[in-house]
Formats: sequence, structure tokens, C-alpha cells
Amino acid sequence: MSLLSVENLNQVYTDAYTHEEMTAVGNVSFDIPEGQFISLIGPSGCGKTTVLNIVAGFIRASGGSVMLAGKPISGPGPDRGVVFQDFALFPWKSVEANIAFGLKMRGVDKAERKRRAREVIELVGLSGFEAKYPHELSGGMRQRVGVARVLATEPTMMLMDEPFASIDAQTRRVLQQEVLRIWEQERPTVLFVTHDVDEAIFMSDRVIVLSSRPSAVQADIEIPIPRPRTWSDVYADPAFVRIRRELMAMLGVDDDEKGS
Amino acid sequence: MTVDTPVRSQQRSRVETAGAWTGLLRVPGIRTWGPFAVVVAIWALIAELELFPSAFFVGPGTVFETTVRLIERGILPSYIGDSLLRLAVGAGFGVVIGVALGFLIGLNKYARKFSWPMLLFFQAIGDIAWLPILIIWFGFSLTSVTLVIVYTVTFPLIISIVAGIDSIPQNLMRAAASLGAKRWRGIVEVVVPAALPGISSGIRTGLGYGWRALIAAEIIIGTSGVGFMMFEARRQGDVSHVFIGMVVLGALWYATDALILAPFEKETVERWGMVEGIGR
Ligand SMILES: Nc1ncnc2c1ncn2[C@@H]1O[C@H](COP(=O)(O)OP(=O)(O)OP(=O)(O)O)[C@@H](O)[C@H]1O
Ligand SMILES: [Mg+2]
Repeated sequence: MSLLSVENLNQVYTDAYTHEEMTAVGNVSFDIPEGQFISLIGPSGCGKTTVLNIVAGFIRASGGSVMLAGKPISGPGPDRGVVFQDFALFPWKSVEANIAFGLKMRGVDKAERKRRAREVIELVGLSGFEAKYPHELSGGMRQRVGVARVLATEPTMMLMDEPFASIDAQTRRVLQQEVLRIWEQERPTVLFVTHDVDEAIFMSDRVIVLSSRPSAVQADIEIPIPRPRTWSDVYADPAFVRIRRELMAMLGVDDDEKGS
Repeated sequence: MTVDTPVRSQQRSRVETAGAWTGLLRVPGIRTWGPFAVVVAIWALIAELELFPSAFFVGPGTVFETTVRLIERGILPSYIGDSLLRLAVGAGFGVVIGVALGFLIGLNKYARKFSWPMLLFFQAIGDIAWLPILIIWFGFSLTSVTLVIVYTVTFPLIISIVAGIDSIPQNLMRAAASLGAKRWRGIVEVVVPAALPGISSGIRTGLGYGWRALIAAEIIIGTSGVGFMMFEARRQGDVSHVFIGMVVLGALWYATDALILAPFEKETVERWGMVEGIGR
């Protein structure tokens, strides 16, 4: 049974100045079964962020339905943890307090919050940095906090919008493997938005390709690469090479050029 | 597992690029008093050269002697005390009202629609422009002085709190909501701390304006206080009192900043990397 089901999703934006209407998301439908890792890719401006924001409950869709475990989504909530491209950490809270925030909102007592936060900090490899403030961390470490903050509350779903886009290439590779390792332990259902075709294939069970605006689902591709995955294995996998070529062609990108 | 190295503190890298001259400025005593020593020296030089008649311009020596005399007679301390008390009362009310209204207008869209045009309207009526009507209503009283200060402190505070709330990154609010923060929790946990840079700069501006308004009010309404002293001295042709008044104003503001505002900012918004060191 699918955990998330998106049906005939449609989003029309109205320009605040010219009052022109613009259909960003035309008609998008897809399902995510529980425990699956799904990537959403597509040309820039096709509405990937829009879809994710609707699932997160940040914006209300113009049309269609989004159901989580059979219930329509009516706003943001702790069952869907969001990892942001710009991290969106609370600057006035230490690493530990940032990570414990969701538990605090849920009314978990202090000792338990600390215990759980420490556990997650260990998991994402931030031990020793509990008392630091976000601005004292590097970009890669900040996003570890971003991921840990969501993991701490054990959400049903994790939503990530280009979480590694502002992180340097090397650290990005490391974080991708890290997140996969953690994901394999906890198995949350993930909706992952990215520009990066390689990243999408590497991380996901399935890659959903959106067409350009007004967008619809152009392709829905299973990734049959065995887990656990590491970059060196995946690069050598013939399935990776094949799917990559397929996706690149679909996005209209010539080979060896990342979708931008 | 690889752990990326933390970003080096900005202080450190700033120090590394500093030259010998700026190095000298880092010695605490010199950093604080050095610039003043230069100004006082120039002041003394001008007085010594007698470019202006002494009825118009007195040197630091004379000012110092007069200051000592005024302190011994208890006049200066009592005037300063009066001024500070007025400022504290006015600013206290001003900050409470400003913070409350700032958050109300910043957070509630109806309150904002209703009050924003009025805010701009009343802000344009400068503080001392209220004095004539206040004097008619309340006479030459402490109430008039206090009201002027409350008025001057409140407006910049409201406006910078509203601006502070408006500039909270949208994703911060979204993150809080998606982690389960309901409206009130979100306000307490996110809006208030995120608006702190706005609050602290608002208090800084507000207090600065309030302080000036106080002096103006004392000049017009005064029966005591630093502003009163300066204006009285002018009437009696005593320049040194005027000079003392000016020095006192600067010194008190400096003290307010060094003892209250700066330490507060250092512990909060600067510590969290939300603003660069203010004026340091
Ligand atoms: N709040 C908004 N108001 C008006 N138009 C918007 C708004 N948000 C997005 N859009 C428009 O909707 C379209 C889809 O935007 P969206 O951010 O979802 O695309 P995206 O696929 O995430 O793009 P990218 O890959 O560049 O991040 C764009 O053309 C964008 O200009
Ligand atoms: Mg986007």
C-alpha cells in the first residue's frame, strides 16, 4: 500500500504585480510505497519544489489531491520532516538544541530529549559539536544537523529539496553515502528533489522525471542497483550507466553535463 | 567517518590580517581612550592658541576644573541623576509599549493594516513638535517630558521590530512548523529570537532619539537636568557649563552602550552569528 499518493496535482501561481496566471504544475500523479526512496528530477522551473512544498503542507495546491496514509494533507506537521537546501537551522540554538527542537515541540522531557539528540548526533557524525552554534559549522556539518533534526523526531516521511546543492562536490559525495547509510538503518519514506541525475540514481529506488512547465510525470524509472551502495560500486554498475544515459537524454542534456 | 572542519571564527582571521597600527588599537586602554586623547589634545591646542575669545571657547583644563567644582557642590550629580531618571522612566514605558505594539503589528495582519499608515503619519511629527501641545495639556511637568521620551522611543522600536519580523527567513518558520511548532510555540521559539537583531537595533535607535528628546525637553520645560544646565549656562554666558553638558551627554551615551547595549548584543545576536560585531 502506498504511503503517499499524489493525484492530478495542479498548481497555478498568480503573479502579484501583473496578475497573470501561470500553471507551474500541470497534472502530476505518483505514489510512494512505505519505505521507498524516491527522487524527483526535471528541468529547472518545472515545479519540483512546488510539489515538495505541497506535500510538506507549506502551500495549498490549486487542484488535485495529496494523501498521506489515506488522509489529506492540511498543513505542515511533524510526520513529514523537511530538510532544506539552505539548512534553515535556528541560529540561536546550539547543534543539540536544534536537533532536539522537534522533540521539545512534542513535549518530550528534557532528559529524554538529550538522550535522543545525542543518539542522532552520533549517527550523523557530529559528536563533539553538540554545543556549537550553526554559524560555527561548515556547510556540510550544517546539513548534517539539518538531517539529524528531522531524524530525531522519526517522521513517517522525509522531504528533501536539493539538500546538498550548496555543498562542495567532495563533501556532497560523502553526505550522500552517509544519508544512504542512515536511511538503510531507519528506512523512512523519502521524497528527494534534485538537479543532479547521478545523485538521483545513486540515492533512489525510483526516479520520477517531470516534464517542463506545465509539468506532468514524464517517466518513472526503477533503479535496480543493489544496496548498500557506494559511489565506486554504483559508477561501475551497467544499470547506472544505462539509466544515466536515458535520463540525460530525457532532460535534453548532452552526456557528461550535469542537469542544471 | 569524515568530519568537516568548523569554520574559523571571524575574529581570528581579522586579527591575522591586521597591521601594526591596528595592532596598537587592540590594546584595550588605547582602543577605548586613544581616539578621545587625540580629540582632547586638539581641543586643548585650539584653546591654548586662543583662536577664540574665552567667553566663547574654553579648554579642557577649565572644563575639568569647573566639572570638579560642580561635582563638589553636588549640582552635576543631581542634574545627571534627574536626567537619567527621566530617561529611564520614559524609555522603560517606551520599550514596553514599543515591544508589545511591535509584535502585535508585526504578527497580526489586521493590526498592521490598521496601524501602519498611522505609524508613518505620527512618526513624521518629530518628538519636540509635540512639546507645545503637551505643555498646554500637562504644563511644564515631568509628565510632558516623559511623554515626549515615550513617544520618541516607541516609534523606531515598533518599526524595527516589524522590519525584524518581516525579514525572518521563510524557511525558518516553515522548519519550525514542520517540526511541530504550533502558532504560539513558533512565536516564542522562533519569532522572538529571530527578531532580536531588530529589537536590539530598535532599542539602540530609540534610546538614542529618546536621549536627544530629553535634552530638548529639558531645555524647554526644564527645572533641572543636563539640558537645563546647558541652557541656563547659555543665559548666564557661562561657556564652560555648556561644554560640560556636551561632554556629559557623550560620556553617558558611551556608558549606556558599553554597559548595557553592547554586552547584551554580544551575548545574543553576535554570539549566534546573526549580526556582525556592532561598531567593533
Ligand atoms: N510563490 C510563487 N509565486 C509565483 N510563481 C512561483 C512561486 N513559486 C514558484 N513559482 C514559479 O513556479 C515555477 C516552478 O517553480 P519551482 O520552484 O517549483 O521549480 P523547481 O522545479 O523547483 O525549479 P528549480 O529546479 O530551479 O529549483 C517556476 O516557474 C517559478 O517561477
Ligand atoms: Mg526548486
